[in-house]
This record gives sequence, C-alpha cells and structure tokens, in this order.
Amino acid sequence: MPEVIVPIGPQHPALKEPVNFRVIADGEKIVRLELDISYTHRGIEKAAEQRTFIRALPLLERVCGICSHSHSTAFAKGVEELMQLTIPPRAQYIRTIIGELERMHSHLLWLGVAAHEIGFNTLFMWTWRDREAVQDTLEEMSGNRVHYGMNEVGGVRRDLTPSQVNAALQRLPNLEERITKYVDMVQNQETMLLRFRGIGKLTKEEVLKYGAVGPTARASGVDYDIRMDDPYLVYADVPWNVVTDTSGDVYGRTRVRIGELAESLKIVRSCLEHLPEGPIRVNPPKTAPKGEILSRYEAPRGELVHFIRTNGTDRVERVDIRTPTLANWTSVAACLVNQNLADIPVIVAAIDPCLSCTSRITIVDKGDGNTGIVTWDELRRRSRLRDRRQEGA
Amino acid sequence: MTSPLTLDFVMETMKGSGTAEQVRSNRIRITTTPKRVRDAITTSRELLACERLITISAADNGRTLELIYHLTGPHRTVISIAAELPRDAPEIPTVSDILPPAGIYERQIHDLFGIVFAGHPDLKRIILGEDWPEHEYPLRKDWKPGPDTFYGGIREERI
Repeated sequence: MPEVIVPIGPQHPALKEPVNFRVIADGEKIVRLELDISYTHRGIEKAAEQRTFIRALPLLERVCGICSHSHSTAFAKGVEELMQLTIPPRAQYIRTIIGELERMHSHLLWLGVAAHEIGFNTLFMWTWRDREAVQDTLEEMSGNRVHYGMNEVGGVRRDLTPSQVNAALQRLPNLEERITKYVDMVQNQETMLLRFRGIGKLTKEEVLKYGAVGPTARASGVDYDIRMDDPYLVYADVPWNVVTDTSGDVYGRTRVRIGELAESLKIVRSCLEHLPEGPIRVNPPKTAPKGEILSRYEAPRGELVHFIRTNGTDRVERVDIRTPTLANWTSVAACLVNQNLADIPVIVAAIDPCLSCTSRITIVDKGDGNTGIVTWDELRRRSRLRDRRQEGA
Repeated sequence: MTSPLTLDFVMETMKGSGTAEQVRSNRIRITTTPKRVRDAITTSRELLACERLITISAADNGRTLELIYHLTGPHRTVISIAAELPRDAPEIPTVSDILPPAGIYERQIHDLFGIVFAGHPDLKRIILGEDWPEHEYPLRKDWKPGPDTFYGGIREERI
C-alpha cells in the first residue's frame, strides 16, 4: 500500500484555534507528521515592543484565552525583577490563587475534551459542570471568566474581600469530592482504560530527547515543574507536591492532570486560609533599567517562558515568548509515528494543544490519484468502530 | 533534582567556549561566538548534564542579531549560551541534530529574523502564513510593512 498524505485542519468546529497537520500515512499507520501553525500568528511580540509596560501587559494576557493569567504573570514578574521591585505578599498570594484556579479550570476543561474525543460525553458534561464552580469563583474575584485582568506591574489590581474568600472556600469540599471521583474513574472505567492505555506512549528518554514539557513530560516520569525548580510567587511557602506518573501514555497524562487538580486545590485552600494582610501593589517606576531576563512560569500545559529585554525606556526592547504547546509539538510528531490514524484526536488532545485540529480531511491516494473528503464525524465514527473492535476482543 | 551548578564549576568546564557570568541565582550566561556555539552546547550536554533545551531566544541588537540558547538539566540551573551574528550575513550551524527540539525553534527564528541555520533538514516556513513575501523579517527592528505589499488575508480586487 502506498503512503498517503492526510491533511487535517486548519478549521474544525469541536476544538478551538487552527492548526494544519499533514499526516503521512501508510494504510492506517502514521509514518510522519508535518505541521503548519501559522494561522493564528498575530504579531503580538512585535506589538508589545511598541507599547509601554502598562499597555503591553493586557496585550500579552491575550496571547491565550485559557492561560491568560500565566502570560501576564510571567511578563509582570520578569519586568518587576528587572525593576528590582519587591511585590507585597498579599499580591503574591492573590496571583497564586488565580494561577492555581486557572490550572484547575484548564485541567477540568482538558478532561472534558479528552472524554469527548473518545465519545464519552457523560464525563465531558460532568467535568464541564464542575469547572463552572471554578469559573464562578474566578468571576467573583476578578469580574471575568477568562482574561481576569488581575495583574499589573507592581502587584494586582483587585483585592479579595472576606466574603469572596469565604465563598471560594465553601466551593472547595464539593470540588474535592468530584476530583476523588475522577481519580477513581480514570483507574477503573472501562472506556477510558481502553482508549487511553498504551496510546501515544513516550518513554522517559524520548521526553528528554524531544523536550516535552508539563503534564506530557511528567506522565513519563520526568519531574520538571518550574514551581519547584525555580520557585516564584509563594510556591516555596505552601505545601504541595509535583505529580508524576510512569506509564507515559495518554492514561498517564490523564492521571497527572487529575493529580494536579488535587494539588492545585490544596494550594488554593492553603493560600485562601493564610492570605496575609497588607497592600496589594507598589507603585512601579515608569522605566526599567537596561537588562535581560528569562522569566519562567509553570502554565497548565507546561513551562512557559518569556525572554524579556529592557533598554532603560518605558517599553521592552524585546519579548520572546515560548509557549508550552510549541515545545510539545516535537514530541507529538514523534509519538504519532506507528500509531493508528483513528488515535490522532486523542493523542493530539493529550498534550492539551493551545491550537486545534480538523474540519475535514482530504485523503489523497498516491497510488491511483483519487481525492476524497472525510469529515470530522467520519473520523470519529472510525474511532468508535475501533472502540467496538477492542471491546469485542 | 541535584544541587545547582556553581559559577566556578561552569567556568572551569566551559573554558575555551566563552566567558561565563552569574546573572542571578539559578542562571548562568555564557557569551560565545557563532563558531563555538555547537561545541559549547555539546560540552554543556556532556559535562554539565544539560539534557533539556528550554528555548532559543532571538533579538535584534541593531548591528548584530543575537541568539541565546537556554539549556537546563537535573541541577535545574539555566545555562544561557549567547552568540551575536553579523546582520548582513546571519548564518549559524544548526543544532537540531544534537537537540531535536531546536528544530522547531530554528524554523521560527528563520521565519521572523531571517537567520539561516546551516544544515537544518527542513528550514521551511512555520509561523508566518504562506502568503507572506520572501525576505521580509518582521521582528527585525528596521522592518516596516510596505504600503503596497500583500501580506496575506483576502486580496482586494478592484474593478
């Protein structure tokens, strides 16, 4: 059977954000993956160079809709370090609370998407319902469900009132119970075990070789977590653990994310209970002295890096952003090799790409030159057929 | 996690590769030349256990373009290897063969800054759209969009 090129994307209605894959397949087996991620390049790095720090921060927050707080914190803490500012503890705690709530909402969202990709829509509904409790908390604290606008250079923009703190604390026991349920489900639920185990496997050596980050790396036993390696905000002061797994497949990545949900909840609770009194910001100077810094942040999807260079003016000379998804593509391309075409949705979804997938698939048969179109639904149908085959086996 | 690297140890190990300085706790910066980058990276991989490439940062310094390779390892110290390239002929050997993750970063830098990574197996466009004109590198400081140049999107058809 000759190799065929299967273009997937750039648009598709179920996942957000466009990306184009050219999957080179031999029959049902994947030989190679090429990708085109140009569709959402908006020139934010260039635009940030033209704006003052005050105006660049909300712009950088809009790099991503899910991990918006990650980007604004990475930028703010980098610029603050260059300005040699000390941020009040209360502001550090508030930043941490929002950051961990963001991780919880992102992981719950991912769990729902992964469930949806394997046709397990009950779990999708459950996790997205539970995510609403997190979203409500974020909305109460910041006024927004996404793009919280909490950060500014020098601290945070909104204080937490005692009633907000109480309302957040009251939501935690129920969430904790739900997370315990998911821990149990991922280990015992037949559908999840069938579709996640042994899929998209990466060994520890491969993770290190291809430079995967975040839950993708930690699921293969690579315990890199910036919150522990290069502590920022209050991570050095609150009790928490790095979650790792040894299985290295989609199953492991699910277990790591659910484990991190529990850890994030612990951090949020501890921060809310021990929120120090005091001011929430300091007045930053208008300009930053000449300097450069590599500001690292553990975003929900892995290590996020802002390389910031200042030149003594009120704006950055250069801000170079390396998002966790960019770092993970190399490993996706590696772990898709020799996998089944029908597993593309779940393997790609397993890195929680901050980009997306398919609207239609054109299959070009190199042998006879025929061109045909397969819809996303058709791909999903094939994926379900595979489920049934496995259940029957 | 092992204990962090000390500046003295890094200076001793990287002798001949360039000058090392501690920019803050956990960060050591090595300034070198484009010719010695590959050796510096190989040495830091073999002798400093730098198993991970965090990213390659690029910046326009005016007369030169600068590349900074950020590496880390079990010691969790970030080793940043910096080299400046002449603006009129920015070319440097690729490191994607010794560090596979570098491949995608090099393609990105090639797109945005026009730096050529000699020996890269597939230095194709990845970040800019297919309609973007050749030889226009938007993150260079002197780049300005041409008033009549087509950069992508929908072409305005005039009757």
